[in-house]
Amino acid sequence: MKKASPRAASTAKKAPASFPVIEVSHLSKTYGKRTTAFKALDNINLKIFPGESVAIIGKSGSGKSTLMHLMALLDKPTSGTVKVLGINASKLKGKKLNRLRNKYFGFVFQQFFMNSNDTVLENVLLPLKIGKVSRFKRKKLALKALDIVDLENKAKNKATNLSGGQKQRVCIARAIVNNPKILFADEPTGNLDSGTGKKIIDLLFGLNQKGTTLIIVTHDEDLAALCDRQIRIVDGQVVNESKQKAGYIRRTAIKEGQKEDR
Amino acid sequence: MKLTDIITAANRNLLKNKVRSFLTILAIFVGSFTIILNSAINAGVNDYIDSQINAMGGEGYLEMTPTATMDMMESMMSSKVSEYSDEKKDASQSISFKSEDFEKIKKIDGVKSVYPIYLSQEDYVTSPYTDKKYEISLNGTVEGFELDMETGEMPNVSKDNTKFEVAITKKYVTLLGFKDNEDAVGKTIQFGVPSTAKCYTVAKRSDCQTVVEATITGVQADGILTIGGGARANAALLNEIHRINSIGMPAENADVAYQATAFVDPDKIDQIKEELKKMNITAMTIDDEIGTFRTFLDAMVAILNVFGGIALLAAAIGIINTLFMSVQERTREIGLMKALGMSRAKIFLSFSVEAISLGFWGSIFGMLVSMTIGYAGNTFLHSEGMFLENLPTFHFVKFTPEVILPIIVLVMAIAFVAGTAPALKAAKKDPIDALRYE
Repeated sequence: MKKASPRAASTAKKAPASFPVIEVSHLSKTYGKRTTAFKALDNINLKIFPGESVAIIGKSGSGKSTLMHLMALLDKPTSGTVKVLGINASKLKGKKLNRLRNKYFGFVFQQFFMNSNDTVLENVLLPLKIGKVSRFKRKKLALKALDIVDLENKAKNKATNLSGGQKQRVCIARAIVNNPKILFADEPTGNLDSGTGKKIIDLLFGLNQKGTTLIIVTHDEDLAALCDRQIRIVDGQVVNESKQKAGYIRRTAIKEGQKEDR
Repeated sequence: MKLTDIITAANRNLLKNKVRSFLTILAIFVGSFTIILNSAINAGVNDYIDSQINAMGGEGYLEMTPTATMDMMESMMSSKVSEYSDEKKDASQSISFKSEDFEKIKKIDGVKSVYPIYLSQEDYVTSPYTDKKYEISLNGTVEGFELDMETGEMPNVSKDNTKFEVAITKKYVTLLGFKDNEDAVGKTIQFGVPSTAKCYTVAKRSDCQTVVEATITGVQADGILTIGGGARANAALLNEIHRINSIGMPAENADVAYQATAFVDPDKIDQIKEELKKMNITAMTIDDEIGTFRTFLDAMVAILNVFGGIALLAAAIGIINTLFMSVQERTREIGLMKALGMSRAKIFLSFSVEAISLGFWGSIFGMLVSMTIGYAGNTFLHSEGMFLENLPTFHFVKFTPEVILPIIVLVMAIAFVAGTAPALKAAKKDPIDALRYE
């Protein structure tokens, strides 16, 4: 995929006074009760701005997935608040919450979560189906999303017949089919070899450069380093927030990936 | 998710597990097949009985007999010896109607008309187209009867009609030398009618017989109430036969009615029966007469429905099991759909629709197979040598939307109820747990 002036894009999206798409304050999550209580997240505060790419990095069990689930409104915090697009999520119930997730979020999972007996096309248009988009329109949008991940020719194939990398690309197509504001990716390269992983990385950052906010949960330092910002979680707390010279590093990484492709 | 999408998805999910879905549908099929076929037979038989009752004047038709006759017949049939008492004899009175009885009956609220049945006896029937004579039993027909006519019309029953008219049953068509029903209509046949008193004095029976000619107005379809019955005559013909029968008898012996019929308001039938009972008259509707048969039929239907119900209950457990397995297998899919913004209600609906679809397909197959077997059975029973051979209008099974639809809806409702527990389990799944599930 062609990368159009990443430097310019990254300057544009760091424009000041932008309004956070996700704002987390004093967020805690405790599992279990009393003696068995386990604090998965402890007083987390962070803001994510539109167009940013953010890595939530930590070891297995650090609480990074829990944080992503809370930000994606898949789970409810024990205390603290999550604001999405300026709306306090705890005030959102049922229909509105489902609509928000359906319209503004995209999800890429490590284990793909595809319905293996359905066709690739069916898998990609699932969010639109849930969002009551008409049959004709959702097919059009799904094919467009598949075109972006370069799998348009596999639309009619059964999902089960794809390779791991192709599956993850289908997942990306599914995640972007609703043209989301925020894309959550949970270990997107975790199950892939490094070559295929790089293709996925290219795709994700390509979308990011077109304006989609990207939140990647990973334990992979190299992947995290490609993001604008790294939020390191240890034992449920943010220990270190760092900003990389993202554009430079990313561009290098992409170039290397392209070389390997050749 | 739109409802059409949910329905399509539910059926596609059923297709993904073909064997499992098929077996569940099979169980539902057995139950719905039993109940649908059973109900169709019930509807068919009852429909036929109703049409036969209407042929006999409908619900408002009463047959009246002096209670003394009934008691006498009962004591004849009984093996017990009853003690004699003067009071009982006085109370039971005569075994025939008195002429003032008819005036009294007419005055009872709800009685529209009363017809005394006088003794009428005919020895044989014959026609110019045959050399043979046949025994026949001739019954009357009065206003209000709707005879089940295959060809032609009922005899004209109006009081002004002085022509002798008769509707014969189908079996007499060929016996009397006609080619077919159409050939018989409008032709004249002869009845040999005895003058009973004279017959004691002559050497040969034919010497006391008078030939009466009557016109065939139509041919009746054979039915359960026409078997044994030969033909139905209008009042003019019956009166003529009665006149010939009574020649040489004293008038007080001649005009004796042992039975009578009446048309009454069907809603007042119970009060009228009570009034008649006080007059020592036993009244019965056609329904009373075939009541035991109906009771038997209803009991059979009830028993078969219980079997069908048990099969459906087992099928319902099958549905619960199938759906629980489906929920378990699709935990991840459910989690994903929830994460992608599908509501609890829609998840619940998806699984409910799956259950309802199982019920729908099971009952549809049940319907198709029971219709096939029902119609084939009906044809078989009407074929030569079978017991419905002579009853062409008796449709053993009746499949109408009114019979079938309520059953399909009921089966779908049972399936829905069976599906609620698994559907609720699916709806309650936490997307996080569902997505973590390995």
